[in-house]
Amino acid sequence: MLKKSFSLLLVTALIVVLAACGKGSGAAQEGNKKVTLKIIHWQQENINNYIKEFNKKFEEKYPDVQVEYTTVPADSTYDQLMQTRMNAGSSGDADIIPLKFSFVGAPQEWSKGAADPMWKQWIDGGLIADLSDQAFIKNYNPADVKNAMTYKDKVYGVNMGKVALTGLFYNKEIFEKYNLAVPTTWDELVHVMKVLKDNGVEPIGFGGKDVWPINLAVQGLQASIHDDQLAYIKGLWTGKTKLTDPVQLEVLEKTQILMNNAIGGFMGIDYGTLPSLFATGRVAMIADGTWDATTIQTANPEMKFGYFPIPGSNDPAKNKNLAGKYDMTWMVLEKSPNKDYAIKWLEMLSEKQNYTDFVNAAGFLPTQPDVKISSEFVNEIQPSLENFKLSWDQLFINRKNVGQYIKDASVHAEFLTPAGPLKTPLELAQKSQADWDAAAPK
Amino acid sequence: MYPFGKGAARLMPYLLLSIPVLLYLLLGFGPSMVTVLFSFTNASGVPGQTWNFVGFENYMTFFTSSDSGDRIASIGRSLYFAVAVVVIQNAVGLFMAVIINKKLKGDVFYRAVFFLPVVLGVTVSGLIWQLIANPLGGPAQAMMNFFGTSSNFFGDYDIAFELIIFVQIWMYMGYSMTIFLAGLQSIPNDLYEAGYMDGASGWKAFKNITFPMIAPSFTVNMLLSIIGALQTFDIIYVLTGGKFNTTTLAFDVYATAFGSGTSDYGLASAVAMIQFLFVFTVSMIALYYLRRREVEM
Repeated sequence: MLKKSFSLLLVTALIVVLAACGKGSGAAQEGNKKVTLKIIHWQQENINNYIKEFNKKFEEKYPDVQVEYTTVPADSTYDQLMQTRMNAGSSGDADIIPLKFSFVGAPQEWSKGAADPMWKQWIDGGLIADLSDQAFIKNYNPADVKNAMTYKDKVYGVNMGKVALTGLFYNKEIFEKYNLAVPTTWDELVHVMKVLKDNGVEPIGFGGKDVWPINLAVQGLQASIHDDQLAYIKGLWTGKTKLTDPVQLEVLEKTQILMNNAIGGFMGIDYGTLPSLFATGRVAMIADGTWDATTIQTANPEMKFGYFPIPGSNDPAKNKNLAGKYDMTWMVLEKSPNKDYAIKWLEMLSEKQNYTDFVNAAGFLPTQPDVKISSEFVNEIQPSLENFKLSWDQLFINRKNVGQYIKDASVHAEFLTPAGPLKTPLELAQKSQADWDAAAPK
Repeated sequence: MYPFGKGAARLMPYLLLSIPVLLYLLLGFGPSMVTVLFSFTNASGVPGQTWNFVGFENYMTFFTSSDSGDRIASIGRSLYFAVAVVVIQNAVGLFMAVIINKKLKGDVFYRAVFFLPVVLGVTVSGLIWQLIANPLGGPAQAMMNFFGTSSNFFGDYDIAFELIIFVQIWMYMGYSMTIFLAGLQSIPNDLYEAGYMDGASGWKAFKNITFPMIAPSFTVNMLLSIIGALQTFDIIYVLTGGKFNTTTLAFDVYATAFGSGTSDYGLASAVAMIQFLFVFTVSMIALYYLRRREVEM
């Protein structure tokens, strides 16, 4: 009898546990009738801090909403989170999801057989809300709306600003100490690195462990060495240009020179520690995007630093402009149970004052007109931004199932010595071209 | 005879068992079957997208596309990883178990220390070794600098994979040790006494008494470490993220499904199936030989 009642008890307990798992926190929801607005984001301290503050303001304005703001590392962890939350669909695991860039990478008529990027698959699948008719879209520059927020003539996202990524941060005090001017040609850059090295200063720092930060420098060289990056990329698809062309070899050769001047062990340094490496004066320059300016400033408020385009060419005119991308594009999920609040959230963030605060916190270049930039840093680099170009990774379209020498960002300087096993740029270029050819659609 | 009584109450064990069976079917077996199904389709993993059956196309892609060379290299790396881990981890584990079993002072302390990494978990272990190998002021780099050289450790094509193998062994040697220890403690002392009378001591006693007697724990350890090593994904993810030629077959499944920008569940499922067949074959062969050895002894 005892055994029987014990087993009954056990079964009841199990059923209760199972039932509790099934309907989530049902009891908790009854307690307060608040709507939970779920937002995911990648980790970028200055921006995260601003959004957290903004969320508080939003909650004050809409007392029945509680914002759940989740941040994860910016690498593939974020891509994966985005994908799983998106796939959860109407179960309400996310309401607002930002893309790391804008709507780029869609196959063109010259790129037959290229894979569809995730954002395109999501929009085509009807997962992203159409924001075309929202009044707050008019707050943004029409040109930026067209370039960064529109796909197939409809607005599917709100882009928060542009960033430049093809320059080097430099420590002004170190430059002054050794009477160095900001280099405007490749030879001058080589001279700067030599003087620094001769005086026992580490010239450059890379976040080599994460690999992609090296590619920022590569893109800087590409933007200044290539006359027309898009024509070259189209040429790769049609066979007119090759990855072994002299112009691309020059990019790899110069990347190798930059890496040879980098701080020892740079392949073990992760991207997250790069700003502090620079802010503590252990290296004179780092390859990083303008978005990290505020992070550097926070790490060392006393520090004086600037940013210049990597001068890949010996013609100063070709080195004058920075290249970059449209950063962060917020998207609202079509099937989100809190779609109205999600749109209200974007509406409030797009208000002039809030947007201005955001841009200043993030260090972005605004996509709204007449925004007052308080950042000395952004104002200082303004001349290099007048003819803002799109960087290589925003233009490049890759083939499907490509080998490791051409995968993702398509240029893999990390395989070159001193970072990797390949001795010469030619060797790397030939392997890249072989991988590219092998992936050609049959 | 009837632990749950007579009549309808007899069904109680089946009722109780049906709960885990249902859970397993729902959460374990079901998704596995869907993976099999997906491996023959072009499913993208994006809700709302249509998908079609494509036969063996994904398997063909695995073996014939542009990056097949990289994929086959990752199979080779999985094997290398497994052999190194299985041999070294069990050798070290057995060695430590034998020493600790000698009832030396503080054996509980040693047991705890060697087992600690298992308790810590992959993320913490990964973090510890990341900090040790930190090029900016980490102790390993400081030591290298002392000898006038430097290294990129987990960012180095030449040694990153070997370092991962080292960390994997460091993490799980305590686990092997514990299983060996359990086997060692089940050996009756009489056997050693009888052996001593016949002149067997030291190495001889180990070879002729200890080793045959722990055959079952040997089998368990070998199988667990073979399967564990072939499926290793977590420690690679934490330490290098598959960069610097450290991608194994198990990591490839993840990279294909959740890799940069695009997702291809069909191909990822096919890679998962190949991974399954690979692990299954290797462990069946290992099991066959290990069981035969147990019988012979």
